[in-house]
Amino acid sequence: MANENVLIIGGGAAGIEAAKGVSAMGYKAILVEKRDRLGGTPDEEKYAALTPDLRNTTEAFAELMAPIVDNPLVDIHYNTLITGAEGELGNFTIKALQLGKEVEFNVGSVIIATGFKHFDPGRETQKYAYYELDDVITLTDAEKMLSQHKFVRPSNGEEPKRICFIQCVGSRDRRLGNEYCSKVCCGISSKQSIEIKKLLPDCKVYIFYIDMRMYGYWENEIYWPAQEEYKVNYIKGMATEIVKKGDKVLVKGEDTTFRRPMEVEMDMVILAVGMEPSEGTKQMAKIFGVNQNKYGFIETTGGCLDTVSTNVPGVFAAGATTGPADLEDSVSAGAMAAIKALTAIRSLAVPA
Amino acid sequence: MIHLPVVKANERVFKITPEEAPTHDLRDELFQLEKEGELEVIRVPEPYMEVKTKYGRTKKIPLEKTWHHKSCGQCGHIPGYSTSIFWLNRAFGLDYYDPTDQTSCTAWNYYASATSNPEAQAAVAIRNFASAHEVGYFPLIHCGTSFGHYKEVRHALVHQHDLRRKVRDIMKKLGKKLVIPEEIVHYSEWVLAMRDRIAERQVIDMSHITATVHPACHYHKLIEEDAVYESEIYGAQRTAIVTASLQALGINVADYSSWFDCCGFGFRHILVSRDFSRSFSVQRKIEVMKEEANPDIVVTHDTGCVTTLDQSQVAGKAHNMKVGLPVMADSQVAALAMGAHPYKVLQLHWHNTDNKPFLRKLGIDVDKKWAEFQAECDLIKAGKKEYLTWEDAEK
Repeated sequence: MANENVLIIGGGAAGIEAAKGVSAMGYKAILVEKRDRLGGTPDEEKYAALTPDLRNTTEAFAELMAPIVDNPLVDIHYNTLITGAEGELGNFTIKALQLGKEVEFNVGSVIIATGFKHFDPGRETQKYAYYELDDVITLTDAEKMLSQHKFVRPSNGEEPKRICFIQCVGSRDRRLGNEYCSKVCCGISSKQSIEIKKLLPDCKVYIFYIDMRMYGYWENEIYWPAQEEYKVNYIKGMATEIVKKGDKVLVKGEDTTFRRPMEVEMDMVILAVGMEPSEGTKQMAKIFGVNQNKYGFIETTGGCLDTVSTNVPGVFAAGATTGPADLEDSVSAGAMAAIKALTAIRSLAVPA
Repeated sequence: MIHLPVVKANERVFKITPEEAPTHDLRDELFQLEKEGELEVIRVPEPYMEVKTKYGRTKKIPLEKTWHHKSCGQCGHIPGYSTSIFWLNRAFGLDYYDPTDQTSCTAWNYYASATSNPEAQAAVAIRNFASAHEVGYFPLIHCGTSFGHYKEVRHALVHQHDLRRKVRDIMKKLGKKLVIPEEIVHYSEWVLAMRDRIAERQVIDMSHITATVHPACHYHKLIEEDAVYESEIYGAQRTAIVTASLQALGINVADYSSWFDCCGFGFRHILVSRDFSRSFSVQRKIEVMKEEANPDIVVTHDTGCVTTLDQSQVAGKAHNMKVGLPVMADSQVAALAMGAHPYKVLQLHWHNTDNKPFLRKLGIDVDKKWAEFQAECDLIKAGKKEYLTWEDAEK
């Protein structure tokens, strides 16, 4: 008799949605999270507002989580790290450490939703000066400030008069090996530029980009409003170096529209850091023996028609665990993984 | 006091992870080729110091048994640069070898798009490596150009079977083996590895000195993963070379916005468009340093960089530009700190920009030192000696 419980690893958007889906279909979801709370990277990194609708992150995630909190069909295990797995579809035994204590879960299928981590700009050594200059920050740093409705220069606490975003930091970079687009950074930068202009109407905001990738409705939802309503300047150009000049930050690079070198002084620079597989994603791939692609994300087997199945029967992956993903992708994949995980278990009960 | 949810740059911790390096560790492939009988690897002799490179890998820097691969431009324009390296080795009683059969690496013309082919370039490199190996010493490269070039040659030889075969054939005719060093080591890495020992022997206080550092392009931009980086130096975002050595001597290293730019030498530019080199050196480097950091001295670690930054200031001076910064190599500053003679050892009279104010700021009696040097020169003029000896240098 197959075990009909589903283990979901990771309490971010995809994991929460997967737990919702499993419980909504009347099955038991066991959700394990390494931190002491749910919400994934948006919560951990204190995102101020979601892209593209600028909805308050805390509110939005509270709504997402509501159906699984106090749900008898969802067991949530905080502070829990998966350490081992054996068995097969319909009968997995999963070992974990919960606050230093060994625990075991017996489940029929597994959904890995361990997500991504933000690219560390230090790896682009000597290019962005993130570890040298206070006024060079990342999108996630900016989110933390925006969530407090206060946007100032970290170096002196003053309101910035000129800010620029630099796109594709750690993405679309063949030299680093991250040739992929991280999908969300153009949207997030545009969203943040609007938030900054709302807080600091007199601040000049620039976005230096290779080419802006505004998927679906984002074009009208954030891209055009940023330019037309909030007067954000989009400049097609590559930043190649950031250095200190007096109390300013000097951005060197190339304006590719005018085909000329540029050197512009800014009060602050925001690096649009891309996505890489989280440590959890890499560890789970090893524990469950699922294939990873060349970038370390978990590889799904069905191409564009099945974005959650892996090479191991009964083990599925969802959201940014399988590659760069926005929240829409993650939530959709979480729901799909729930269906696939249960379908796989139920298929065992169907006579051949 | 500002309370923000964003940490300041000096609190951000960058973890260097070799696993995330975008390149393979060439040494793994080198040793594999040795196993397959393709070449022989010259091991770094003991004692050596381990330092970290750009992607967190470990590099061995030999302290002794070093074979000094000198620089054409150094010997021709700024001989005190090499002399200071030898003086430091002698001061510590280290076993080193100053070969007389070393050839030019020929890389200057190669980088200036003027000459040669990969086989010839690689064969010249291997001939020099083999000469070092035959006498039981390990190559220590004085010249930044040669250093960068040899890294590229090693890279090419490891990855191109055909090139290895051709070079092996050339070496056979010369009666030499295809040998490649385990590490390509620049002399400034030796200075960095020795910095604490140099600081222990420091006799001239330099704590009131401000320096700007120019890291040589061929040191940290060619095969960049082989350059030395340290967490304490610019958060491991820039090479630690020179900066770490100067800081060990108590010198304040000041930043300036064009630190990443070339010195102006540019290989091709200095040959075919020298005015551009002079303008770039003065306007993009020296004037920027003066305006933003106002240092007492500029310190760098390559022949082309020292000569270009130093000698270009003559042109700037003629046009009343903001010039007048003495330029030295790290080896010269280290030797000076340990009490080396500014003229007999550092040979600062070969430098163009006036360095006397800097020496006086260090408390050195410039007139006395110059008189001592002149006295030795008078003996040579009088035919009483042929050249200065190490004993003369210590007088």
